Amino acid sequence: MLITQLKKKEEILPFLKAKTLLVACFGCKEVFFPEKEYQNIKEEFKKLYPDLSGEIVLDYLCNEDYTAKRLELYRQEIEKAETMVVFACGVGVQTLAGLLASKTVLAGCDTFYLPGFSGFTPSSYDCEQCGECRLSSTAGICPVTACSKGLLNGPCGGAKNGKCEVSKIKECGWENIMNKITTTGKVAEKLKESVSIRDYKKSQ
Amino acid sequence: MPKLDFTKYKLKSKEELADILALKKRIFVLSCNKCFNELTSDLEPETAELNILLNETGKTATGSRALDFLCNKFLTEKTLSGLKEEVAGADAVAVIACGVGVQTIAGILNVPVLPIADSVFQGGYHGISLNAEKCGACGECYLTLTGGICPVVDCSKGLINGPCGGAKNGKCEVSKDKDCAWENIYNRLKGQNREKVFILQEPKLRNYNKNSAEFMDSYVKTIQAKRNEGFYGGLYPEEKKELTEKLPITKITAPEIVSIPLQQHAGAVCEALVKKGDKVKAGQRIGESKAAISAFVHSSVSGEVLAVEPKKHPLLPEPVLTVVIKNDKRDEVSFAVNSKGSLELSAKEDILKAIKEAGIVGMGGAQFPTHIKLNSNKPIDTILLNGCECEPLLNADYRLMVEKPEQIILGLKLLMKAAGVNKGIIAVEDNKPEALRILKAKVEGDLTVEVVPVKTKYPEGAERMLIKRVLNREVPRGGLPLEVGVIVNNIGTALAVYKAVYTGEPLISRVVTVAGEGVEKPGNYEIKTGMLLSEIVNICGINIPSNYELKMGGAIMGFVQTDFEVPVIKGTNGIVVVRKKDDLTAEPCIKCGRCVNVCPMELKPHKLVFYAQAENWEKVENEGVFNCIECGCCEDICSSKSHMVEIFKKSKKIIRERKK
Repeated sequence: MLITQLKKKEEILPFLKAKTLLVACFGCKEVFFPEKEYQNIKEEFKKLYPDLSGEIVLDYLCNEDYTAKRLELYRQEIEKAETMVVFACGVGVQTLAGLLASKTVLAGCDTFYLPGFSGFTPSSYDCEQCGECRLSSTAGICPVTACSKGLLNGPCGGAKNGKCEVSKIKECGWENIMNKITTTGKVAEKLKESVSIRDYKKSQ
Repeated sequence: MPKLDFTKYKLKSKEELADILALKKRIFVLSCNKCFNELTSDLEPETAELNILLNETGKTATGSRALDFLCNKFLTEKTLSGLKEEVAGADAVAVIACGVGVQTIAGILNVPVLPIADSVFQGGYHGISLNAEKCGACGECYLTLTGGICPVVDCSKGLINGPCGGAKNGKCEVSKDKDCAWENIYNRLKGQNREKVFILQEPKLRNYNKNSAEFMDSYVKTIQAKRNEGFYGGLYPEEKKELTEKLPITKITAPEIVSIPLQQHAGAVCEALVKKGDKVKAGQRIGESKAAISAFVHSSVSGEVLAVEPKKHPLLPEPVLTVVIKNDKRDEVSFAVNSKGSLELSAKEDILKAIKEAGIVGMGGAQFPTHIKLNSNKPIDTILLNGCECEPLLNADYRLMVEKPEQIILGLKLLMKAAGVNKGIIAVEDNKPEALRILKAKVEGDLTVEVVPVKTKYPEGAERMLIKRVLNREVPRGGLPLEVGVIVNNIGTALAVYKAVYTGEPLISRVVTVAGEGVEKPGNYEIKTGMLLSEIVNICGINIPSNYELKMGGAIMGFVQTDFEVPVIKGTNGIVVVRKKDDLTAEPCIKCGRCVNVCPMELKPHKLVFYAQAENWEKVENEGVFNCIECGCCEDICSSKSHMVEIFKKSKKIIRERKK
């Protein structure tokens, strides 16, 4: 799933030339697009550049069909503008840039990744779509995502007190897997299972 | 044009499955209805395939269940708790879902959980709709420099400073089917005369630590906590309360002519007690009904009846019998308007009678007659005053709480006495600290009334949500708050009850917030019932900009008004100008899951729409359409622009009519 943060003001300011149109996407509201931050920064911009050519607020910029229809509604504003600064996730910016190939489309946000697929509150579980699900031999805890290194056949040995060496707040995926297998009492059986090498082509 | 399909899993091969299922005999099957592909059937083929395989290999399927969005932990957990016995009888639970779904189940159930499918790699993180554009979520967007074509995702090597040089005829060396992203970037920039800007940039180094464990962890935790605050689902719309929150209540002079509909309540329409030419006084009863559910209607001014005829109603589709009165400006008050007692002196029956006489109804919008609500035969222990006002723009209740706290508390106590309970709670959203402070000070030391802050979230003001949050009681689906011993009343209603008992004044005026785009004189106005919208539009200087519309009620649940010759009625808490939704035709549902994620009633709105369109009314009802509170969260979030609330209203009507 995707989430956005506004770029720093200093980064956006050079984008704002005389004929700049702001486009904001408030689509997936429940993943908390920085709406308030956007409103605040917009007011600041308006004071600095009284002739900003306008603002369009849409939702689901990523929906190409709808966005195309809506751009028709705002055709005049768009024609007047030289550049458009888009406050949306990377998908939204690309969709708009693709639809308006002759316009300079600039990104006002950075997009980050959160576990779980789009459509939902971020999950505590992640899936990398490796294409060869191993959860049946790892007690339902995914070694590809729960282990920082994506190791498939056991821990690296770098964990301390159950925490990963990559980050103190991240639990060692393999310790969790082992603990869960132990509770079902089938450790020996599981350890005997041979582990295949990951086929990275499946996730390309 | 066929929609793209981003199905996230496919069944493993027979050989692999035979391996995975080898030592298990009794299997319970859980499958996830695929997200992000068009909703054309409510059955997924994989379950049948797996059942055949189980049969062939001599396994017993102890049961199976298909769910929507297994990854929705809250709802999945609830469903699974109802399947405990079936699951307990199995050696293992086979899960047909993507990796997130399988892990979610493995995290909930304490039995072996077997993945039956492999996730299908979709590459890059897609947005909410079915769209081929991808985002690498790198955390440092380069699209500004690259003409809106992403080098991180579209270049096979994810190069961010230019092409590798390996492309031939515009195609990447990794695959002949793949365009060289950098050639596309260069061509796009050249078309915009921007290629030099790019070339003169300093080389960039990608920071792979932007999505650090710390970053993700803090976001995931805060978002999850916020999503589950108080009740499941809901939204955080822009509040815009600041437009009128500081403006004290002011009276609008009574108009020349008032137009009073004889239906301003849930239940039966009143019969007129006056006819053309009659003289009436302010507060005089002009309509009543003998039906079990109805409320009296009174004149809001003194003057002469000009007509009694059907007229357009602000909420109802058909014209409603309406008494039109010419105001003689003498403000003569009916003899019936005199004090009916007080909290100390009036008995339960006196208070109920005064409320009935005054024609008081729920003033939050639903307009259910208050005297009927109070006269329940179920055991009640709490009266809950709803001071949430969770709709954007509205401040009518807020101003009342700030300006008339004593009267509201007295009104609450009268309601408590009338219902025979000792406990009253005033729940106020925490975005109204001033109201909370004032009310808390007024009830200090009072053991019967409590003022409780609740977190701000839409639709907090819905009875069911509020009861869950404040009292932690769950109103059964399809049931009323009465069933858990609670009666919920609006702040305005409490004030009306106070007036009815202490002054005998019937419900003939109310506070209305007028606000929104193009409103010259926004404010919180005390307006006589029956005043026409057109006059308020003039007085408040409302010029509705294009792309905007006027609603009576709240910004989300209010009713759009196109004809302004309709009156303010007892339930009108706002007159607001809000942005019109772009007029887009609904597209097929792509099962993005947002509606399920926001529905506070824990319904599956997309399924309701699917069955309603198939006119499968039995399933619409079974999926719980009558539990829908029409809050509009699903419609607001729908990525396919389905007009869901309208579909649900129609469905309810059709199902009711079929039952007759």
